[in-house]
Amino acid sequence: MKKLPAICPACQNQLNIKKLSCQKCSTEIEGLFELPPLARLSVEDQEFTLQFVKCSGSLKEMARLLKLSYPTVRNQLDKIIEQIKDVENQE
Amino acid sequence: MVDDEIERGNQQKNALQQWLFNPFQFIAGGSALLIGLAITLITAYLGSLSNTHFDGVLDLHIGKAAPLWFFLTEVLIDWLCISVVLLIAGFIVSHSSFRIIDVFSTQALARAPYLFAAIAVMPKGFVRFAEYLASKAMQQAPTSTIQNSDALFFVLGTVVVILMLVWMVTLMYRAYSVSCNVKGGRAVGSFIAGLIIAEILSKTAIWQLAVRTGLL
Repeated sequence: MKKLPAICPACQNQLNIKKLSCQKCSTEIEGLFELPPLARLSVEDQEFTLQFVKCSGSLKEMARLLKLSYPTVRNQLDKIIEQIKDVENQE
Repeated sequence: MVDDEIERGNQQKNALQQWLFNPFQFIAGGSALLIGLAITLITAYLGSLSNTHFDGVLDLHIGKAAPLWFFLTEVLIDWLCISVVLLIAGFIVSHSSFRIIDVFSTQALARAPYLFAAIAVMPKGFVRFAEYLASKAMQQAPTSTIQNSDALFFVLGTVVVILMLVWMVTLMYRAYSVSCNVKGGRAVGSFIAGLIIAEILSKTAIWQLAVRTGLL
């Protein structure tokens, strides 16, 4: 399955969801749905967040897994927190 | 196939650049502290062999003979001064929380280029020529006669020292930026201010130490 794009490739604006469908019974729901804050992050940041949760929120474990230093991983997390705060402030 | 090799080559080049100019992306904390302090103390030991004093955060001077403990204390004062000043700068400027050990460890590792500077000024020819220039500048009779190759050793050594100084300052800035999570103009401004303050503090502390222990 394709990865969900969050930003419009044409104008760089935030994308919304217009149509949802059930793969089992083919029911389709149309409307205008906002992407949740985490889904608005870039694919890399979403993967980082997923990994962070899997590591029980341990930055040390993340640093070991990603072969990066502790402050580098913590800075990456701070960047994601800032992005989520920005999204929340826009709402 | 050729594209893959070019891509792999570019990745290796980037990784090497990262390790040379921003190793703190990969190493910080306890391991960086141990490696950084070990290199710093070896630098001081090598300096003691040619009477090279690291008498300030950025300083390297050929000077008087002194006991080994004095050379070791000089580099520790340099490291503590820059670390404490940049730690305070980080508390003021950074919006993130950060670990104190990362500031101290990355600043210790950032001093690694001076190991090569200490090696570059070790040849007797460099020391002789430096002493010759110093005696000329003070209008005193030269204490030793210089040889033909001494000027070459001096020029080469000076070039290496300048390059290592630039590399060290680059690493110090990267260490500060990564460990305190500060970027842009605020990072550059606070780093320059911190470097000047740390330089003054370290020079004063080392001078005081030399006076109080009767080495000056």
